[in-house]
Amino acid sequence: MTKSDRELEVPASAATEILPDQPEVSNSNLGRREFLGLAAAGLGAAALGLEACKSPQSISANDWVNVGVIGVGSRAQHMMQMLLRVPGVRITALCDVHPPRLDEGRKVTRQATPGYSDYRRMLEDKNVDAVMVSTPVGLHAEHVIASLEAGRAVYGEKSMGRTLADCNNIRAAARRTGKLLQIGLQYHYAPWYTKALEQIRKGNIGQVTQINSYWHRNNNWRRPVPKGASAELEHLLNWRLYKEHSGGLFAELGSHQISFANMIYGAMPESVMASGGIDFWKDGREIEDNVHAIMRYPQGQTLAASFITTNRLEGAQERIYGTGGSIELTHTDATYFAEPWFPGSALPPEIQMQHKIVTGPTYSAEQPYHGSGKMPIKGSASDADLACVAAWVDCIRTRKRPVANEDIGWSQGVTVAMCNRAMKTGVKLTLNDFLNCSNPEEV
Amino acid sequence: MNPVSTTVRLHRHLAMGTEFLLYLEPAEMSETDERTLVQAVFAEVDRVESIFSRFRPASEISRLNRMAAQGPVVTDPEVFQMLSVARSLWQLTGGAFDVAMGRLSRAWGFAQKSPHMPDKEELVSARAASGMAQVVLDPEWRTVSFNTPGVELDLGAFAKGYAVDCALHLLTAQGVPGLINAGNSSLAASGEPFESGWPIEVCSPQLPSVPAQTLSRVLLHTNSMGSSGIMEQKLEQGGQTFSHLFDPRTLGAEPGEQVRTAQVLQASVLAPTAALADALSTALFVLGPVEGAAVLVSFPAMAALWVLAEEGQIRSIEHNWPTSCA
Repeated sequence: MTKSDRELEVPASAATEILPDQPEVSNSNLGRREFLGLAAAGLGAAALGLEACKSPQSISANDWVNVGVIGVGSRAQHMMQMLLRVPGVRITALCDVHPPRLDEGRKVTRQATPGYSDYRRMLEDKNVDAVMVSTPVGLHAEHVIASLEAGRAVYGEKSMGRTLADCNNIRAAARRTGKLLQIGLQYHYAPWYTKALEQIRKGNIGQVTQINSYWHRNNNWRRPVPKGASAELEHLLNWRLYKEHSGGLFAELGSHQISFANMIYGAMPESVMASGGIDFWKDGREIEDNVHAIMRYPQGQTLAASFITTNRLEGAQERIYGTGGSIELTHTDATYFAEPWFPGSALPPEIQMQHKIVTGPTYSAEQPYHGSGKMPIKGSASDADLACVAAWVDCIRTRKRPVANEDIGWSQGVTVAMCNRAMKTGVKLTLNDFLNCSNPEEV
Repeated sequence: MNPVSTTVRLHRHLAMGTEFLLYLEPAEMSETDERTLVQAVFAEVDRVESIFSRFRPASEISRLNRMAAQGPVVTDPEVFQMLSVARSLWQLTGGAFDVAMGRLSRAWGFAQKSPHMPDKEELVSARAASGMAQVVLDPEWRTVSFNTPGVELDLGAFAKGYAVDCALHLLTAQGVPGLINAGNSSLAASGEPFESGWPIEVCSPQLPSVPAQTLSRVLLHTNSMGSSGIMEQKLEQGGQTFSHLFDPRTLGAEPGEQVRTAQVLQASVLAPTAALADALSTALFVLGPVEGAAVLVSFPAMAALWVLAEEGQIRSIEHNWPTSCA
């Protein structure tokens, strides 16, 4: 086992470790300026002590957090269940325009939790300290901004907003109000992701030049609707398929991987080319069933991203390729792959020495690497969603700045919006042009 | 189980270590609606598995197993309710149903699907960390704690039955007749596709000397059936047969005495929900027909059928069991 291999073995209790500090970021002019917030963001903040989540009896009355939920769909119900595993959290209000969702939410709380159809009334409820916004993406801006302005700490589901204007407005509201805003980018809280990022920043896979990310599914992305439902109700329940409120596959599937690539490269892409179409699920939907983008980063690095709904061989994974090794990240684990040395390779000298020089059958650079040096990056014995909401509650109590704060969320949301704009126009779109466009409120 | 109808469609999904079969009679559904419903049903099964699987490190049960010996751990209402129901069933069955037997199951290798005889030292420590008596539930704070390190919750078939119930709820909500069959041991039906229900056969296990035979044929409509049997997993050693189902009341004294020998081959239960049917079938297998009938006094809505091997012959004993249909 090489030194670098050993270093990848981290304790399973990684969730309790302190996250690494953010290194210097890219030297792109615009990317750097826009990314300074990201660089200063709370990556140095303590990760939550999930394994220390114990009895709530030790929590003082003032530290109980009462959460109201705007938008009680399937994602919200799952995240409510996670919240209720965090000591000292109550769900005290539910809000949804579709009444059956309120009953579904009460099945999660197992209580007669008060329900609202108008979020403004819910925000008048003094029994709500903090708000989880899990409405359709196109409504995030309205609900997140109203909640911040009502003085509440907010957890806003990803993508931050549907358009550039949405993201700008949400970030401005967070800064203006000074209220806590965390975006639902839970993989920033997954221990195996943070350990992988730490290894990348230590240089253990050399210089990262390419990231390939996939979120491949094989389903129609629809939700069941009641028998005889009106077209209006069908649109409401299947909002992800219709342009009015959806950010499409880039937003719903791509947000996490795109945000993580921004984190690895320490910048936003300086240009995007994208394409997609409704090519298989021709069932009346308005949103593409497959989307693809190539994003170029300021230091000559690339993210090639693909999100499809007709094949699941690749599943959800991202592969980070460095000159000295690779890391594969999935929703449950991370794996390191050593990069074998051969004459003329880009392998950094220090990694060559760590790997030693070995002999064996002729190595063909064009074949996938299947040799020794594949190792799991430990720390996967946690649920990323639970870690994420527990960190939010911790930030509410301690007034710490979240890891997935308004700047991280803004860079993610704007990159997704940029992908959608590039796909819509079919031309290569630069970040400069996008940020200065005359129609930021359009997709 | 072989519903014969040209209108019934079968969908399959691997989950919880077995295969979930969904039989649908979607006469009035569009192809898109049927596809969407099937996706939702199996997604619900996956959701339940992601919470209750003891094999997934990120599941809530795994988190409790890791942490609850260190002190009370807050869990969510769904998990707490499942554990509370499990505790009630443990009490009502005189300890014959016990979801805290994971450590013992692992010592015997049944949990890892590689049965082996544990050594004495391993057995002693496994027994000390097994049993619901070691689990403390505090409803006021919704916390779970273990009295001793090493306890492992394993909801097993109870969680599988619960997954069937949750998935079936989606069919019921849509008013679509259907039947869910999880590994042939958990079945639940919604609606009455053949005017009277879904025909289910209870068969005896295949033995070397006696071929499998149909013992009963019942109709499921809005109820559930669960079966537990020695044939699922067993260890044969030294002329003895050991089942993967333990008697939680004794936890065993010595290898050879501590797990049930193969007299009762199978127990099937009809119950209002698949979770209850599965929990009770496990308990009734352990209890046998005499003690089992006494426990069933607390469960008037349930029926049971035991399959026994005696002197090489198969026979069945029924309790409230419906008359076999044609």
